[in-house]
Amino acid sequence: MIGAAGPMVSTVDAQTTEAVAIVVHPEVAIDDLSFDDLRSIFLAERQHWQDRSRITLLVRAAIAPERDLILTEIYGMSEDRYRQYWIAKMFRSEVASGPKIVFSTDMLRDLVTVIPGSIGFVPVSEVGSDLKVIRIDGMLPGDEGYPLN
Amino acid sequence: MRGFWLGLFVAILSPAVGLAGQAPDDDPRVRALGFGDFNYLVTERDRQEGFRMGQMVGHVIADIDERFTFFGEVSLTARDDKYSIEVERANVRFDFADEFKISVGRFHTPIGYWNTAFHHGSWLQTSVARPEMIKFGSRFIPTHFVGLIAEGGLPTTPLGLGYSVGIGNGRAANIARAGDAGDVNDRRAWVARVRSRPISIVGLEFGATFYSDRLLAPDLSEANERIYALHAVLDRDAPEILAEYAHVTHDPVTGSANFPGSDAYYVQFGYRLQGRLRSLKPYVRVEQVVVPSGDDVFAPLTLNYDGVVVGIRYDPGVFLALRLEYRYEQFEGLEKTNSLYAQASFVLSGS
Repeated sequence: MIGAAGPMVSTVDAQTTEAVAIVVHPEVAIDDLSFDDLRSIFLAERQHWQDRSRITLLVRAAIAPERDLILTEIYGMSEDRYRQYWIAKMFRSEVASGPKIVFSTDMLRDLVTVIPGSIGFVPVSEVGSDLKVIRIDGMLPGDEGYPLN
Repeated sequence: MRGFWLGLFVAILSPAVGLAGQAPDDDPRVRALGFGDFNYLVTERDRQEGFRMGQMVGHVIADIDERFTFFGEVSLTARDDKYSIEVERANVRFDFADEFKISVGRFHTPIGYWNTAFHHGSWLQTSVARPEMIKFGSRFIPTHFVGLIAEGGLPTTPLGLGYSVGIGNGRAANIARAGDAGDVNDRRAWVARVRSRPISIVGLEFGATFYSDRLLAPDLSEANERIYALHAVLDRDAPEILAEYAHVTHDPVTGSANFPGSDAYYVQFGYRLQGRLRSLKPYVRVEQVVVPSGDDVFAPLTLNYDGVVVGIRYDPGVFLALRLEYRYEQFEGLEKTNSLYAQASFVLSGS
């Protein structure tokens, strides 16, 4: 659900934000997404995987640096605009709810491994062997040209 | 206060939903949105000035199961002697896939953009009120639709193509209303809208709509109504560009006369300022409704209109918007008038 009021200005700081890895539930039968596909998923334009199972979007709560990176690079929105976007999506009956808010990387790690069809993001330094990381346009975090570095 | 309004709206809608309060602890299944606004009006028009209560709107979304979803919306509108309660939307949708979803119930008619994008969600829109062509109680565009709607899209394509196709009752005998209690004739209305949302430019959308119905003209004769609508929008903060056009024709069922069509459009431009002024979003809108005297359905309703709207939206917080808006308008048969609106609108969200 959309959370409480937050800062008016997005605070992406290239000095403190490390690369972000996109992770999915282990049974999601996909290893690579184009950046446009990733954007359509995070915008909830695409709400189902190819096997018609529902996509569950996991998003870190406000203040997390990786959230700011996702808002800037994928949504192209400020924090305020992002919240308005999801309220509008629900109002227009395009989605039944906003993303599930997760409050820590550990919480995200737990949820993405137990919720079928889920997708989320974590700082690359937090990726462990228990998480399934997918490629974006054929690239992994750290690769030159990776869009979420 | 926030809890009171949400509780009220959920209480109104919960008999239809049947799920309120039964959600499992780990995943609330009923979600609510509340929209409301308060206004102050100074005008040369023949209207009561002063403080005006706006609409209070409750919106409930319930996951019946993984593929069935209920959407409900109830509004409370201030009248001179009471508040009127209206079921604005109530529909159940089954999601087969992104490409195909089917719903039954009462909807915002998928014509153009504003009618489905903002409608009663006044906080969502930049300006104080909707354009005249789709205003509250609009007779130019049928704003509500009772029937069946199929919709979907191809979200993985670069153009983000999507569609909505519906069949329903069309307008009621009072053409400002949908046929909630059945069709006024044996000819169902149908609507088809296609749109493109290029995924590379968030907020950009182009679309075209065709709507067809048979309705009762004021003289109780029947007429075929066809609506052709186009929209192009960039729904974002800096800049915001919204443009819609609709052409409506009414042809008598008996006889061979082809009456001239009626037209309406609006163009709105807004731009959220940057830096320390980013809470401010000035906007301007130009709009017009043109109904020729030969339109036997619309002409008696005196719908002709010219308007220029200039305003500024101030967002002191995420969920509250304050607006100050000047309007220079001319309604059919009346002198040009100046009006000044001040408005506070808000949104509440909860589970």
